[in-house]
Amino acid sequence: MELLILNGIVNGLIVGSVYALVGVSLTLLYGVLRVVNFAHGEFVIAGSFFAYVLFTSLNVPPLLALPVATVAFFVAGWGLYYVLIPRLSRSDDPELMSFLMFYGVSITAAALMLLLFEADSRSIDYSFTPISVQVGPIYVSTARLVALAITAAISAALALFLFRTLPGKALRAAIMNPEAIQIVGVDIVRLSAFAFALATALAGVTGVLVALVFPAFNAFSGTEYTIIAFIVVVLGGLGNPVGALLAGVIFGLAEQMATVFLPQAMAQIVGFAILVGTIFLRPSGLLGTSTRK
Amino acid sequence: MSIAIETRDLTKRFGGLVALDSVNLQAAAGETLGIIGVNGAGKTTLMNCICGLYRPDGGDVFISGERVTGQPPHVVAHKGIGRTFQVPRVFRKMSLIDNLLVPVLDHHASDAELTERAEGMLARMQLINLRHNYAEELSGGQQKLLEMARMLMPDPPIVMLDEPFAGVHPVLCKFMIERIEEMSGAGKAVLLISHDLTSIYRLSTRVVALNQGKIIAEGGVGDIRDNPAVIEAYLGT
Amino acid sequence: MTASSRPRDSADRIYFTLVALIGGALMIYFALVPVFGLNVAFHFYLMLWITMASAFNVSSGFSGYLPFGYVAFYGIGAFTTAILVKKVAFPVFLALPFSGAAGLVLALLFAPTLRLSGIYFGIVSLALAGICRLVITNMPEEITGGSFGLQLGSRAHPVQSFYVMMAVMVVALATILWLSRSRLGKALRATRDDADAAEMMGVNVPRVRLYGWMLAAFFPAVCGGVEAWYTNVVDTETAFNTLITAKTVIYAVAGGLGTVTGPIIGAVAMVWLDELIWRQFPLLNLLILGVATVALVLFLPRGIVGSILRRKPQWRRYVP
Repeated sequence: MELLILNGIVNGLIVGSVYALVGVSLTLLYGVLRVVNFAHGEFVIAGSFFAYVLFTSLNVPPLLALPVATVAFFVAGWGLYYVLIPRLSRSDDPELMSFLMFYGVSITAAALMLLLFEADSRSIDYSFTPISVQVGPIYVSTARLVALAITAAISAALALFLFRTLPGKALRAAIMNPEAIQIVGVDIVRLSAFAFALATALAGVTGVLVALVFPAFNAFSGTEYTIIAFIVVVLGGLGNPVGALLAGVIFGLAEQMATVFLPQAMAQIVGFAILVGTIFLRPSGLLGTSTRK
Repeated sequence: MSIAIETRDLTKRFGGLVALDSVNLQAAAGETLGIIGVNGAGKTTLMNCICGLYRPDGGDVFISGERVTGQPPHVVAHKGIGRTFQVPRVFRKMSLIDNLLVPVLDHHASDAELTERAEGMLARMQLINLRHNYAEELSGGQQKLLEMARMLMPDPPIVMLDEPFAGVHPVLCKFMIERIEEMSGAGKAVLLISHDLTSIYRLSTRVVALNQGKIIAEGGVGDIRDNPAVIEAYLGT
Repeated sequence: MTASSRPRDSADRIYFTLVALIGGALMIYFALVPVFGLNVAFHFYLMLWITMASAFNVSSGFSGYLPFGYVAFYGIGAFTTAILVKKVAFPVFLALPFSGAAGLVLALLFAPTLRLSGIYFGIVSLALAGICRLVITNMPEEITGGSFGLQLGSRAHPVQSFYVMMAVMVVALATILWLSRSRLGKALRATRDDADAAEMMGVNVPRVRLYGWMLAAFFPAVCGGVEAWYTNVVDTETAFNTLITAKTVIYAVAGGLGTVTGPIIGAVAMVWLDELIWRQFPLLNLLILGVATVALVLFLPRGIVGSILRRKPQWRRYVP
């Protein structure tokens, strides 16, 4: 039993760190643009397929796929922003309309991936040597450990970016007060485009990591990750990147521990239950400030 | 003259900020109570506590002698109190007539009667030609008039007006002043918040000055006008 | 004062003439579909989507919510009918009202979510539908048929279920027409526009929201039951498919939220488009649906009827 629990904890951390990244990108997007990206899961899975294609047709190892994905998805995100967002901000109810629009984007993305890759599950048959590493009394797959290291590195880089660099601080300021930041002369459109591109790039990179950590994925896995992203974002506080990091790890641990103690079916409900519970009991999330009248 | 509306030791805090600090005031039927104070003095918070939008942290609100503290807004509304808002809160995607029907939806009168009453009200406010337009198509001043009409539909004995003249051009102001004089003339108790001191002094029977959540002066128009505490609050030291 | 009522009467006359025309046309057309040997399946689903989109409009257009877990009501209705018919040997006509009741019960259960705002509500709605699906999937096989689902036996009767679907559609549309003119409808719309202001005007906002919500939950539940009867099979994958919510939302938005005719026109246009695409490019169905949604939000956010009414606001009184 102790072994199971230990396994659960280690896996929880690994899975949690991936969830954390998924959440961070979504929360950045919401914080800066007030846009709820329903298609976020599909962006992530697109990243997984991207790594898959690079690996199967060009023999590019997943580690190398990471920087390629970063650039590719950043550019794609930048373009997508200018196609989708400007009209949205002029509508009656941008938040709700964005909800609907990204709903459409998620269906489109899933459909595209379905057309390109069919409904079969895919996975990347990449193995590190050695295949697994001994951590204390248990064995962990090397790929997962590598993924953990990478997510830690990315999170650190992101934190550094957000808190030490000027563009990063501008992003955080925009999250806190979108009107004020325009008054001080920041081009909110370019900043928003940047935020969108950054979030998309993060999503794509997370997708590559998903391919490393999880056994398989298919065109419909996107929905799952969208829900995970929402859970993490709400738990961590909408618009709070540090909160998302924390919440992701906590959720990952909760999920993995649930599979240790509960039957498989019940464990799936845990995620939904956390989401509903958070919204009702502490809607501003773990790190948010509660505002009550 | 009976006390129509009364607050006793009304207190409201937002986190560490005390927005209202033991506020005691009353207004009787036929009286117009002017409420003045600089921005942030607590005037709108006062109205929000009275109508039930905010739950007070201390003290009580009495309407016609009945304690209504902490009741939900729709219950308080039915006790006979109507209000307008500093920034108009009309029902944007509903017609003017429908806007006016909302406060009287649970009245037992027939649809035809209520519609006729609404049309009469709109005619008095000179908005009758726009009665089928959506409220969002009105100008700011027209929306304020719409709010006034909407407030008067259920003929409440107590009315609260939050900055009715803000951003409204002088001709419309004059029109509004006449309508407000009609209200107190009809025996309603009127609570009036305004920065427009001229109008306040003209309309009010009594005035109350708020600063930082406390009443710093109250009395007749003359008393308030020359009150050193009020002058200091408005002009600073 | 009566002078102003005369134009109002003529506006009402035009309004009700349109209602009679559209309603009559719908009823006569659909009634004759089996008689003239037109595609029963296509028209069955057309009526289904008209009903779903219209009922959804009560929750979104009239009340201001976007329940992304709307399929939960449909699914619960489908399973209620299936279980009652298969396990308890109910006749279908008796099971369908129970499906409706199941929808109402679920709506009551979900009622606490009504005080949430736009996005939070949408996300929670999605999560609750997911929980529903998981709970039913994990119920004992004897009750819900596990992963294979339930079969209703040989009680499928295409023509009968077709006409029952038509009856459901007519009742739904009539109810929604009544709602749009009624005091409850006005209260709902005021709540949608500004809930706090409505409450300060004396509207019992929580109660009004609940009534609207229950109305919006009843019809998809009955639809689920009728469709279960029509196809003879029910399983969690199809009964709780997120695509059902997706289509409902998109068809309603395509026509225009907030009017009675909007969702009807939206459903007709989109189902017809869907069929056309399906015939030519069967694999592109999903893709077209997605692209259509994005295009709709970008270029026609108020839908077909909504955009027309925006250009010609004076027509609002005449259009149901």
